[in-house]
Amino acid sequence: MEPTVRSGALKFVNRLAYQRERPERGDIVAIKLAGPHVLYVKRIIGLPGEQLEITKGQVYINGAPLEEPYVRKRWLWDVPKVTLTSREYFVIGDNRGMRAADHDFGRVDVSRILGRVIF
Amino acid sequence: MTRAVLVRGTLAVGLLVLGVIAWRSQPSSDEHAITARLEALRNEVNTSTKDGLGTAARAAQIGSYFTDDAVVELGRGSPPIQGRDTLMGMVARLQPRTAAFRMDLDDVSVDVLPGATAADVLLTASFVQRSISTGEESLDAHEYALVMTKADGQWRIARITAVDTLR
Repeated sequence: MEPTVRSGALKFVNRLAYQRERPERGDIVAIKLAGPHVLYVKRIIGLPGEQLEITKGQVYINGAPLEEPYVRKRWLWDVPKVTLTSREYFVIGDNRGMRAADHDFGRVDVSRILGRVIF
Repeated sequence: MTRAVLVRGTLAVGLLVLGVIAWRSQPSSDEHAITARLEALRNEVNTSTKDGLGTAARAAQIGSYFTDDAVVELGRGSPPIQGRDTLMGMVARLQPRTAAFRMDLDDVSVDVLPGATAADVLLTASFVQRSISTGEESLDAHEYALVMTKADGQWRIARITAVDTLR
């Protein structure tokens, strides 16, 4: 998964995907920065209200380890426990074979989620 | 009153409303000036030192887009960059790399504050770096909030603050 995608980089985003349903864990979503022309493409791993932490690269949701078959390389990241608000999702990329400081991930407000990435 | 008069009256009111909406949605001259200024800065940053001016002159030109006491806060634990001179020093050190570096500014929104001497700007800055060995490009994009001020008829950047899109 690329860290950022520019307009014109041929990613298809279903902007209506979340009109009737909420984003789900595992969804790959497009996230707005200042506007819709440059987007983050990230995977949702944490849902509103959940507690999430990462210990030695392993993600825990409400204390239980999260299975992530899509992650190939895993650097031993540590992220202290965070509790997501009712409007927040936790998003992260699949490519975690680098230092956490070199990767953009974290909590995002639902209003920034533009839609689901189709391909 | 005939039906034809009613229809014409409704059309006239409709056109008037559309005209007012179109007029109000036009960017002001200050918004234009700020957008043009940022576009010029982008071009300046993307111009290689090989294109004519020396490193110091190029840094001074880029510095002219900032106020004397400009502050740049990049977040993520890095200390703020204080003042135009500090900024110019950093730009001068970065210059040799600019041949493999490109900056783009997207989704620029401008809000000119009452009095028209200050404005809040929100934008996405993308930094495309090309590997000299492989030619591969990597993209790093961030959202920034700018405060711009107008003095002597010229808009300059007084503050840049990185916005944490993902917290």
